[in-house]
Amino acid sequence: MSSHASNVDPKTAELWDKSHYQHDVISTRTFGYFMYLLSDGMLFATLFAAYGVLSYQHSYFGGPTPADFVKPWYTFAQTMALFLSVLAYGLGMNALKHKNKSGVINGLLAALVLGVLFLALDIHDMTHLASLGISVATSGGVSAFIVLTQVHATHVFFGLIWILVMMAQVLTKGFTTEVVGRLLTLRMFWHLQAIIWVFVYVFVYLWGYMS
Amino acid sequence: MSHDQDDPTLHPEVQMSTSQGYFSGFAISSILMLAATFLVTSHAVPPFGLLMVISACAGMAIIAQIYFLLHIDVSEHNIWNTVALVLFIPLFLITIGLTWWMFSQLYLHTMIMPGMTH
Repeated sequence: MSSHASNVDPKTAELWDKSHYQHDVISTRTFGYFMYLLSDGMLFATLFAAYGVLSYQHSYFGGPTPADFVKPWYTFAQTMALFLSVLAYGLGMNALKHKNKSGVINGLLAALVLGVLFLALDIHDMTHLASLGISVATSGGVSAFIVLTQVHATHVFFGLIWILVMMAQVLTKGFTTEVVGRLLTLRMFWHLQAIIWVFVYVFVYLWGYMS
Repeated sequence: MSHDQDDPTLHPEVQMSTSQGYFSGFAISSILMLAATFLVTSHAVPPFGLLMVISACAGMAIIAQIYFLLHIDVSEHNIWNTVALVLFIPLFLITIGLTWWMFSQLYLHTMIMPGMTH
């Protein structure tokens, strides 16, 4: 250290950094939003725990269990709708990299349409269950099943509203720091819905169908 | 870290998107979910083995999505997201695992077991 310091020539040494370091607004916001999403993950942890303790035979009170009403291929169609929606959003974000506004709008629009398809399939499934007389009041097990799957569907619903808002903001405001930051946080939110869905699909729908 | 704040589309978090990455994440997780659905509906594997196999499918699909979609890696720009996620995972597993364990012990000791509800 001392020998290195003695080699500095005071006449040529740069004492001030010429580049101005600014606060990275976008990264600060996306990291803060990631913290929020992880706490949202804890909400799902409690719902998965509730489903875990309420999926015993006695939890269904002799009534219908997921093995009676889950249709794996129907729910697989929902899975594909959501994964394709996430892919479309990703391709829209790739267009953002090239400042391609119509590419971003097309990606958001495709993500919106496929997200609506996911939600429509879910609502159709839930109304079908209701027509069979299966509701949150049926038993503790069915209650945990419906609450967990519908909390995920509610996330998708709010994500769809957010996608609509971002389409309007991209068209009216363009790629400002605020709009780009919001597109990045929406990307994290939307991709996290696909990750949570893998848990819901495999451990609630498929496992419930098996049991 | 300084970034060119005049053009937000040059921000590293925008620039790290690649179509190839999104296609990879989509393809891997779709194939794994298709395999899990096929195995469950065909009843080809005994239940415990089947649970292990579909859990492995879910685990691999989640890792692929976290890597390709959330861009969780050890690059300079993403390292803190990765640290936060790594610290989050034990909380997530402990919350589910301990709750499930406590209730399974409760059911065991209060003799409310499958077949004893009638």
